[in-house]
Amino acid sequence: MLSVDFEKQLSGFHLRPSFDADEGLIVLLGPSGSGKSLTLRAIAGLLRPDAGRIELPSGVVFDSAARIDVVPQARSVGYVVQDLALFPHLTVAENIAFGLHGWPKERQRERVRELVELMSLDGLETRLPRETSGGQQQRVALARALAARPRVLLLDEPFSALDAPIRNALRREVSRLRRQLGLLALFVTHDLQEAFALADRIAVYDDGAVLQCGPRDEVFRTPATVRVAQLLDARNLFEGRVVSKTEAFTEIETPWFRAKARAEGDLAPGARAALCVRPEHVILLRRDRPHTNQLDTTLDVELIDELATGNNHRLYLKVAGAEECIIEADVSAHPYQVMGVASRREWRVALTLDQTVAIPLADA
Amino acid sequence: MAIPARAAIGIDTTRAFAPLALVFVAFVALPLVALGWRAVDSGELAGNVTSELVLDAMRLSAITSTIALVIAVLFGTPLAYLLARRDFPGKVVIDVLVDLPLVLPPTVAGVALLVAFGRRGVLGGELDALGIELAFTTTAVVLAQVFVSAPYYIRTVKAGFESVSPQYEGVAATLGAGPLRVFWRIVLPLAWPSVLAGAILCWARALSELGATLVFAGNFPERTQTMPLAIIGVFDSGSSVDVAIALSVILVLAAAVLLVLLRLVARQAARPSL
Repeated sequence: MLSVDFEKQLSGFHLRPSFDADEGLIVLLGPSGSGKSLTLRAIAGLLRPDAGRIELPSGVVFDSAARIDVVPQARSVGYVVQDLALFPHLTVAENIAFGLHGWPKERQRERVRELVELMSLDGLETRLPRETSGGQQQRVALARALAARPRVLLLDEPFSALDAPIRNALRREVSRLRRQLGLLALFVTHDLQEAFALADRIAVYDDGAVLQCGPRDEVFRTPATVRVAQLLDARNLFEGRVVSKTEAFTEIETPWFRAKARAEGDLAPGARAALCVRPEHVILLRRDRPHTNQLDTTLDVELIDELATGNNHRLYLKVAGAEECIIEADVSAHPYQVMGVASRREWRVALTLDQTVAIPLADA
Repeated sequence: MAIPARAAIGIDTTRAFAPLALVFVAFVALPLVALGWRAVDSGELAGNVTSELVLDAMRLSAITSTIALVIAVLFGTPLAYLLARRDFPGKVVIDVLVDLPLVLPPTVAGVALLVAFGRRGVLGGELDALGIELAFTTTAVVLAQVFVSAPYYIRTVKAGFESVSPQYEGVAATLGAGPLRVFWRIVLPLAWPSVLAGAILCWARALSELGATLVFAGNFPERTQTMPLAIIGVFDSGSSVDVAIALSVILVLAAAVLLVLLRLVARQAARPSL
């Protein structure tokens, strides 16, 4: 059980995160400076909130009403900071064993051996941190944090300084370890891909507050606000008004087109709402082929620009007859070639009903 | 025609500066060479160095400066750590206070110590009642040395502590280490070069202390006459200048050794730490 709900006034910044989780890996996602790292510091006991409550699997560690403030030493957290902070004058083995102070010598040696094996650090035990590679330093920091068997693992952008291949390998390793050890883990990142790859739950941060927290797919599928959708890089957001609502769908009228979104939520006709569909859920069609699903919204579009992003092509499509209305669509390399996207400008898109969501907007 | 490279221009500039630089080097080197030459030329260096006056002064200097260093380390280390890590009201005042002896004429320090701890000083009555007499004793020599030399230690060590990222202490705390263990195992080892450098500077300053000692402790052989004071004593009593020269040679050698040590420590510290 993890429950975080506190506030802290810092010079020019009001930190007031609130989220909870039962288990798994929770990603704190948000732009830099939104308070993710400070939240970890508060959970670790290195930043004292002004008010609120923090509960960890080891118990309530902070509660301003009950005057509880457990020292960092007793919170049973493993904390990997962004710059790792490996003790530069201690060897790899000494770094890993640092948290085992007070254990019998023989059990310390045993535990260090276990972790060296778990993290594939064999042969590096007597080296100083600076004599190991970046990826190895990451694993030493992880091993050091895990050594005393903490109940929570806090990871603050631990892979941001590494090259992509090592980063991917380490992400998989963290996922595997967490499952293997059954740990609750908090992972701070501003990288959407990393968040998606790792998260069971996502807490979306903006300017010191958590805007939305929930299971990963739910947050991606149903952003609670336009700001969340923007932070999750949803790209296609169109303001409009609800014109009708049935059991099957909510129909939204935007200044440029009408479209159907999922029926969930309590948006009544006349309410302001934003239509949101991620580029990967916009389906590209040829205009001369009929689209079978009648509930999907189809729009005639004109291809005006594109950007190749490795596996994908991001297409910028102008809605026919509407100036300044661009829909972004991702097409993967294979269909891009088969359909001959590069050779024609006239297309049609389908916004699949299941992936199109209506986000409530405050009345202007 | 080839355009002169930047380096070539640089070399020309340094050539132009060389004569001025050399004049200064000669100015510093000449007295020191003269000192050594006179010491050897007199043919009595060995005799002077082993004379009672010189041996007494050396012994007293060694003992007092070492005790002064120990006191500076004992009280200065916690103060330096506090100044490096904590913000508190009045910190600026303490910061300035610690620095003040660095720029104060040592004789002023001596007068101040006398006014505070002398028989007729602010604490004179209380000390007298306890049967403690400080002024013009060996203890006064140590106090004078601590007053003027400890700031060198505190300054240097404070900078050393500041260069250790507080991140280490935070992480060490989450790993279960209490404040004292964090200090001994993490902060002190990482700041070690600064501690050594501070200690060397502090000791060197204590060894060369003259003005404050002269005012607060007086110039009494065996009791308060350290080596720098013994040199004054030689001139005052009109005895052989060669004794003063012998003392000077010893002090120059000690200073040189300490400076070399300082260089070695600095080189050690310059090694990349991660």
